[in-house]
Amino acid sequence: MDSASGSESGRQVFRKHTRPWSRRQWLQATGAPLVAATSLPLMAPWHYVAASEHYGGSVRGRFIFRGTPPERKKLTVDKDVDCCGKFDIRDESLMVDAGGGVANVYIYVRSRDVPVCVSVAESSARQVVLDNRDCIFKPHCLAIWRLRQELYIVNSDPIAQNVAFAPLGDLPANIVLAPAPGDNTEATWRFRRGQSQPFDIRCNYHPWEKAYLLVRDNPYFAISRDDGRFELAGLPVGRWELQLWHERVGHLQLPEWSQGRRTLTITGEDIDLGDIPLLPRDVGIGQ
Amino acid sequence: MFAMKHNRVSNHKDTADGLSPKADGSATRRAWPPSFQIASHPMVAWATVILLILGGCSSYKPPDFKLNLEGRDPATVKPVQREAIEEVLTVLFGTPDDPHVPSGVDLDLALLKKAAGPIGRDFTGNERGLYRKHCAVCHGISGDGAGPIAEMLNPYPRDFRNGVFKYTSVAGGAKPLRSDLLRTLNRGLPGTGMPSFSPLSQEDLAALVEYVRYLSIRGETELFLLRAVVDENEPLPLRKQFVLDEGVRPVDAMWRLAEEEPEKYVVVPQRPRLSPEELAAAIERGKTLYQETRAQCTKCHGPEGRGDGSESELYDDWNKLKKGITEEQTHQLARWFSLPLQPLRPRNFEDGLFHGGGQPEDIYLRIYLGIPGTPMPAAGPAPGTPGVFQSQEIWDLTSYVLSLSHRGTETGRKVADRTGNKLSSESGMARE
Repeated sequence: MDSASGSESGRQVFRKHTRPWSRRQWLQATGAPLVAATSLPLMAPWHYVAASEHYGGSVRGRFIFRGTPPERKKLTVDKDVDCCGKFDIRDESLMVDAGGGVANVYIYVRSRDVPVCVSVAESSARQVVLDNRDCIFKPHCLAIWRLRQELYIVNSDPIAQNVAFAPLGDLPANIVLAPAPGDNTEATWRFRRGQSQPFDIRCNYHPWEKAYLLVRDNPYFAISRDDGRFELAGLPVGRWELQLWHERVGHLQLPEWSQGRRTLTITGEDIDLGDIPLLPRDVGIGQ
Repeated sequence: MFAMKHNRVSNHKDTADGLSPKADGSATRRAWPPSFQIASHPMVAWATVILLILGGCSSYKPPDFKLNLEGRDPATVKPVQREAIEEVLTVLFGTPDDPHVPSGVDLDLALLKKAAGPIGRDFTGNERGLYRKHCAVCHGISGDGAGPIAEMLNPYPRDFRNGVFKYTSVAGGAKPLRSDLLRTLNRGLPGTGMPSFSPLSQEDLAALVEYVRYLSIRGETELFLLRAVVDENEPLPLRKQFVLDEGVRPVDAMWRLAEEEPEKYVVVPQRPRLSPEELAAAIERGKTLYQETRAQCTKCHGPEGRGDGSESELYDDWNKLKKGITEEQTHQLARWFSLPLQPLRPRNFEDGLFHGGGQPEDIYLRIYLGIPGTPMPAAGPAPGTPGVFQSQEIWDLTSYVLSLSHRGTETGRKVADRTGNKLSSESGMARE
């Protein structure tokens, strides 16, 4: 069953490819998923891989905040105070580290139908974890390749937690997780549709809790780490349009990134975008 | 810009115009005085009268679907984008008078045609325009839940365009079955403005169910288009195939999910038959479950189930978007929505008035599945989710909730008097 549906999803993807293919490429396109799916029996039926010869390079860089970042405000914690009151819960909408690095900036390939390199497919984890810990969601920003990955939701707090989200055109979720330690503290969720931008995840019990999730049909996305660095690994050869997104402003408009978009040509070498400066007004401060 | 403004101001009028020939007639009359002013010469007046006799008084202007601009500043939607969206939606779904079904979508066109269009009968005497006759006054021609009288209702009528329905029998947030929508039409939603339509024939009800599904599938496609065209600047003109593949088909697939895989999604309550002693024990167990921290029932519904929990600021998904962090933000946001912000009240069980129905099976499903679009979460298992309660525990909770109903409050007494069933809950669960 795995091999049949695996090759089918592979074929569907390649049919959409714009340029005509040589016979060898066609063989690879239909053959690679078949081989991959049979050799890795753990793979889910919706698995999706492509010929490795497309491997091009990585795009990396670092988001740097220019200016004094605003103080992170303390959030009102008025529910389950016995448990949550002891944590210093602060606004996470702009995270700047001591070196000026801006965390939680999304960067992803906006172009449709990007072929996926086998190496990238095999190295990506099967689950993306959303933890309810210390009365907040951890991590604050997540991204998921829906064709291979599922969302694993877990509660690590000694109180019940709720995870609610409603992605555009996909099924809504409103899940209760029992207090930890104990039974029923976890859930998994699969997405049926990719999204063009992240949506928010909320907890109906604790209104201060918020996280963001980007659901994509390909694995080419990154979220800047605490030091502001990001890496989009293993992009295939070609011209791809990248998109920047930040929770304070949505599409992150920067010089050279009109509407947060920029097209890069991947030829086979890694691209280092260096330091990408963010001014306070870029993230909606002082407007 | 003018067009947008006009659209907002005249929301309700637009809808009313399409409701009945009478409304159209009044629109025509409003155009009269200018012609009388011109008609200073008796000949002109006579000519007008003759023209009207020949042409008839009614000038039926078919209504349009209103673009879903909820929560958006209309000025941010360029006219060319608006036209592109409206055009492709008309090609795929037709108009309120002439619905189309995009190829491959699970909708019955014959039923839709029965529900669509102006009120009237066809040459064989079959009734047409059922949606406008029975539904549009609250739910609006476009299914936006903002019909002419919507603002007076609490809760507001459902906006079908988000594809979220509260009272279903399906887990995992899946779309309702046709039978779920039919149940709501047959029974109405007690305690809301939604009446029972059970006097209608089965065929008429099926037509209305189909039309609601149609408005919802169209509405979700529209939301996809707004996201793609306005938010993401999708190049224009839109390709029909792109809209079909990425907008319509995924929505259609969601609607098929529970119908095609009922064993995975559909929950069928199997009510236990209990002796009075067993029922008393179930109520006791339910009370313990209700008060423990696993599902946090008391947070919203209060320690005694009076709907007075510590969570006071509750909103459903349709209203949540209208709520800013500060009062001023909320005030600012109000401009971009058809209806004002409306808070949500957790149910007071003592009233015995349950929107999704007061039978034990109904309460069971609400606890098991949650109420989509509201903060009420699903406590039962769903695909991927073990759930915090299993079936037996949910029945115990159901017994407890029903044991509280029809007691204490004014509404509760009224309901009990009307139904002549003071402890319907207990007799409902008990073995007879």
